[in-house]
Amino acid sequence: MSEIKPNDTAAAEDNGEETDWAAAKAFFDNLKTHKPRPPKPRFAVTIAVSSRTLFNMVAERKLYEEEGVEKYVAYQVEHENEPLKPGAAFPFVKALMNVNARLRELYPDSEELFDIVLMTNNHAQVGVRLINSINHYDLTIERFCMTGGKSPVGYLKAYMTNLYLSKDSEKVTEAIEEGIAAATMFMPDTETQLSDTQLRVAFDGDAVLFSDESEIIVKQHGLDTFFEHEKEFENKPLAQGPLKCFLEALGKLQRKFYAKNERMNCPIRTYLVTARSAASSGARVLKTLRSWGLEIDEALFLAGAPKGPLLQKIRPHIFFDDQMFHIEGAKELGTISAHVPYGIGQKYHKGKLIEQPAKKE
Amino acid sequence: MLIVPWSLQVTSRAVFEPGADDGDEVYKVGTAFPLLQALQRVNKRLLEENPDESLLFDVVLITTNTQQQQRSSSIISSTRHYGLDVSRFCFSSEEDFVESLLKNNVQLFLSADRNEASQASQKGVLSALLDQHSASCPPEQLKVLFSGDAIIRPDTDPTPASRQGAQTFLAQLGEMRRRFGAFDSPLSIVLVTVTGGRESCGAALRTLRSHGVSVDEAYCLAGAPRAPILSLLRPHFLLSDGLGGLEE
Repeated sequence: MSEIKPNDTAAAEDNGEETDWAAAKAFFDNLKTHKPRPPKPRFAVTIAVSSRTLFNMVAERKLYEEEGVEKYVAYQVEHENEPLKPGAAFPFVKALMNVNARLRELYPDSEELFDIVLMTNNHAQVGVRLINSINHYDLTIERFCMTGGKSPVGYLKAYMTNLYLSKDSEKVTEAIEEGIAAATMFMPDTETQLSDTQLRVAFDGDAVLFSDESEIIVKQHGLDTFFEHEKEFENKPLAQGPLKCFLEALGKLQRKFYAKNERMNCPIRTYLVTARSAASSGARVLKTLRSWGLEIDEALFLAGAPKGPLLQKIRPHIFFDDQMFHIEGAKELGTISAHVPYGIGQKYHKGKLIEQPAKKE
Repeated sequence: MLIVPWSLQVTSRAVFEPGADDGDEVYKVGTAFPLLQALQRVNKRLLEENPDESLLFDVVLITTNTQQQQRSSSIISSTRHYGLDVSRFCFSSEEDFVESLLKNNVQLFLSADRNEASQASQKGVLSALLDQHSASCPPEQLKVLFSGDAIIRPDTDPTPASRQGAQTFLAQLGEMRRRFGAFDSPLSIVLVTVTGGRESCGAALRTLRSHGVSVDEAYCLAGAPRAPILSLLRPHFLLSDGLGGLEE
């Protein structure tokens, strides 16, 4: 899986890059509006969001599907001064902005911040409405990529993306295959009151933070074999999953608060919400995290109980899981969920093997 | 506004590799070759939409290099060999080439030589620099790249002549783009803002729109490294000079 950011600083730093960066820095520092300057990508935790996750574009999407692209673009242009309503990733983005504000207070000169990039295959003319909407909510999104129809996945690496959120599961799958943490977002069925002082991120364990190696055992050999296996290999760390690096990036930012004695007041909190049970298969998971040098604030072992009610109590700004069954359960009870299309879980639904349709040409 | 064929002048040194072997009738292709192919493709699609279309790219090849001038027949036969649609060939000295650009009523001058492009620009001819990346551009779609930073905050004050040239160019480019739909266009108009943030990019989008140009793709970098983005975009040429001060 991809590293947080490219490691070779000396080699990669070239004059052109530094000149552009210095010019941008000067530009923002001179703005009368005193907008916070976007961080240097190399040091930032870059979150790329699509237009449909940032804003609610369900009606517009329907228009696109029913009447085609020309009518869709014309409609968006006609309504470009009407701000769009918030989408599934909106609360998450606001929470990221809050963390940035706290980080800037403690470390005014640091570039280690969240950087939010809008990554969309929308036409640039639709982009005007997106920019107007971003202005309306005063979101700190200064970087974007509007590809006018081409897939934006190629640009994820160019913008040094740490996490990509989209409504399009094909693009998300493509990103994961390229080694970029990614998930398909879902709007919850009911609205939940979320914290506006603390970013809360919940992760499933297997096939999200960890590889799907253990899940394969459950699916193919059953629970008993799984328990035996996990006990036997308790001290062998699991391989990493697609979201491991994102947890790592969050941990790095958390430590910046701890260093300033803000542990009790840390604006980032992470949760592990796993179907594993503490008694039989939980130890391996905790030991794996420890071997990676990663902390997770709360580890919740459900021993197979549904995740929905627990997540309702936690109220995360985003919950990552590889199984649609859990996503649907979480959604129903008001949790903003993000599906990670990775591993053996994609071939099953509620424990049964899905008949794979013939692949599209 | 009278729409006339759109004259575009390219230096032959950019189209063909200099220094072909003696005896060779045909030059090897150079930096601007994919660009010419892309221009031709746009013309072809324009004529498909409307066989009586008069707003087409009109390519003039200019040679200031004396060596190439001596082998003018090779240049001409090379263009035939590759099936390039060149309407006129122009041979001029290095001192006078800007005069010949003006005489030929050229709307856009393309060169791989920074000095040449700069000289033409100073005399009010809209110019663009071709770089080594142009050689690897796909010929299927012509990508014209605008710099958002130059539109909003020009480095130099434009001359009235170059501002007029820029406005005409934009109007005609916009008109040409409108002949095609939102997708599957052989011509794509791309805006990149390297230094500024979303306000700059938004302002550039609106400014171009007010001059009749509807941008297709927009990338706002706000200081992020430009090389990875440009290597993915692979534009045929970048227009940054001569567009300064469009915002009234």
